[in-house]
Amino acid sequence: MLRFALKNMAIKRVQTILIVLSIVISAGIGVLSFNIASQVDDGITDNAGYYSLIVGPAGSETQLAMNTMYFAEEPLGTIPYEVVTLLQQDQRVSSLIPFAMADSYNGYDVVGTQAAFLQSKTLARGDMMEDDASMQAVVGANVAKYCGLTIGDVIYTSHSVGSTQTHEKGITVVGILQQSHSAYDNVVFTQIRTLWELHDHGEEAHEEDEGHEHHGTVCAVLVNTKNPGYAMQLTNEYDGKILTDEEGDSHTLQAIEPMAVVRDVLNDADNTKYIVFVLCAVILVMNIIIISIITLLNMYHSAKEISLMRLIGISMKKINLLYILQNGMIGLLSTLLAFGVSRLCLLLMNDYVSSMGVVLNIGKLYPAEILILLGVFFISVLPTMIWTYFMSRKDSIHE
Amino acid sequence: MIEINGITKKFKNETAIDYRDMVFETGKSYMLLGASGCGKSTLLNMIAGILSPESGSILIDGEDMTQKSQKEKDRFRIERIGYIFQDFKLIEEMTVLDNLHILRLEGVDTSDAGDILTSLGIAEKKNAKIKHLSGGQKQRVAIARALVKKPDIILADEPTGNLNFAIGEQVMRELCEVSQGKTLIAVTHDDRLAKYFDEIIDMNEVTGGKRDLFSEQEGK
Repeated sequence: MLRFALKNMAIKRVQTILIVLSIVISAGIGVLSFNIASQVDDGITDNAGYYSLIVGPAGSETQLAMNTMYFAEEPLGTIPYEVVTLLQQDQRVSSLIPFAMADSYNGYDVVGTQAAFLQSKTLARGDMMEDDASMQAVVGANVAKYCGLTIGDVIYTSHSVGSTQTHEKGITVVGILQQSHSAYDNVVFTQIRTLWELHDHGEEAHEEDEGHEHHGTVCAVLVNTKNPGYAMQLTNEYDGKILTDEEGDSHTLQAIEPMAVVRDVLNDADNTKYIVFVLCAVILVMNIIIISIITLLNMYHSAKEISLMRLIGISMKKINLLYILQNGMIGLLSTLLAFGVSRLCLLLMNDYVSSMGVVLNIGKLYPAEILILLGVFFISVLPTMIWTYFMSRKDSIHE
Repeated sequence: MIEINGITKKFKNETAIDYRDMVFETGKSYMLLGASGCGKSTLLNMIAGILSPESGSILIDGEDMTQKSQKEKDRFRIERIGYIFQDFKLIEEMTVLDNLHILRLEGVDTSDAGDILTSLGIAEKKNAKIKHLSGGQKQRVAIARALVKKPDIILADEPTGNLNFAIGEQVMRELCEVSQGKTLIAVTHDDRLAKYFDEIIDMNEVTGGKRDLFSEQEGK
C-alpha cells in the first residue's frame, strides 16, 4: 500500500509539491514567528533577571535598562562613586557591579566594569581582567575577529565613534570572549579605573590620600540584594534620591527594577507581537483553505480512479486507507519540512536578534509550536478523511 | 457452475429487463450475442456483483450472489472473477505492472504477472505507462489483470469492441487460449468470433426484452 501511495504521489507530483509548499510556508511562518517572539521575550526577561536593581542618573528608565544590560542607547550620564560605596555598606546588598560606558574602539563601545560582570561568559582565549589592575581589556568575539586582535595587542580608544583622536595610553588585550551571539560580542570590556585613568582621573586613582582611594564617576550600579523585598526597599530609597558629591554638585538618582522595566517594554511590544500573530493566523487560515481546496480537487479528480478500483474488486476500506496514507505522508513530510525551515530561519536570524542580547536556541521547542504543527498535520489529512467518509457512504462502484 | 434464475433488472430510465433462466457450466466458454441494450453487460455486472437484480437469484457453485453483502461481493469478485471491461478500466498514469500489482492491495498474489504478460506478448511493455499503449496493448493488459489473480470465472464485456477485426480476433483467440479450463463468458456483438467459443447464447432469446415501466404505470 505504501508503494502505491508513493507512486500516486509521484504521478500527481505537481499537486503534491503545491500542497507541500503551501503547508511548509504557512506552518513554517506560524511556528517561526511564535518561536522567535517567545524566545526574545524569554531572553530579554532572563537578562533582566540577572540584577535585582540598577541605580543610575535620573532620566528614562528604559534607557538605563537598555544601556546597562544590552549596551544599547547612550548612557543617561554619570553618578558619583559614593553611590557604589553607600550600596557596598548596605547590609541588604549581596553584590554589586559598577558600570560605565565611555569611549569607543573602531566603532565598538568600551565598557568599564569588573570581572564579575562577565561571569556568565566564557573566555575563548587569554585570561579575565584583574579587578585590582587597570588598562586591561577583555574583548568580544566580533571585536577580536573584525579588528584582528590577539592576546597581548594594545588598543587605543577614542572619545567617540566618529573621533580620530585616540587616547595616548593603550589598553592591553588580556582575554577574548567566546562568541555568544549576543551584544557582548561587540563590546570592549575593561576595568572601570581604566576609563578614569583615560579621562584624567588617573592620577587620583593611584593617589592614596589618608588611606582613601579617589574614584571617578560611574554610569550605573548593578545591584543584587539578599532578597526581593530588599530590592523593592532600595529602589524606593534610591529612586529620586539627591546626592551631593565631594565637589558640592548635586546628582539626582534613579533606581529601577530591570525586570519590571523590561516587562513594561515587552507589554508595549506585545501589541505589535499580537498583530504579527494575527497576520500569521490569517496566513495559516488562508493556507488551510487552499490546502483543503487542492486536496478536495485532487480527490474529485481521483473519483474515476476510485471507481475503477472498486470495479476490479478493491474494497472502499482499502481505497480510503490508500488515500489517507498518501495525504498523511504529504502532511507529515510538510510538517517536518516546516519545522526544519523554521529552525533554519532561527539559525539565520540569530545574529540579528543577538543585537538585543538574546541568543536564539535552535533546539527550543514550545508546546504551542507542537500544537501548531499537529494542527497543520491534522488539517492536511482532514479533507481526505471527509472525502473518503462521503465516498464510503456513497459507494462509487456504480458508475 | 453459474445458474441464472428468473432475474429482473430495473433502470432509472424506467425500463426493465426480464432474464430467462440460464446455466453456465464450469470450464466452458460462452459467447453472449445480442442487440445493444438487451442486457448483456448488465448480466455480466450482476454475475460479478457490481449490480444487483430486483428479483431472482444468481447461483455460483450454489452460492447466491444476490444474498451477499457488498463487502462479500467485493471479496468474491477479487478472489474468483476476472473481469475484462470494454473500456479497459486501467489507470492511465500508471505502468502496466502497476496496474496488475494494484490487486496486491487486496492481498492478491501477482507474482505471475511477468509470465502472463509474456504469454500475451506485451512483456516488453511492462514498465510503460498505459497512456502510451495502443488499444490492442491496453486490451491485453486488461486481460492480464483479469488473469493474474487466477480466477475460475472470466467475464469479458466486448473485449474486442475497441479494436479492429484483425487485432480483435487475435485478442479473442489469445483470451480463449489463456482461459482454458475456466468458465469464460464474453459479450460481443461480432458473430464472426463465435468459432472460439463452446456455446453461443442469443440474449434476444433469453431475455423478455425491455418493458416500458412508465407506460405500465400509466396503464394501471
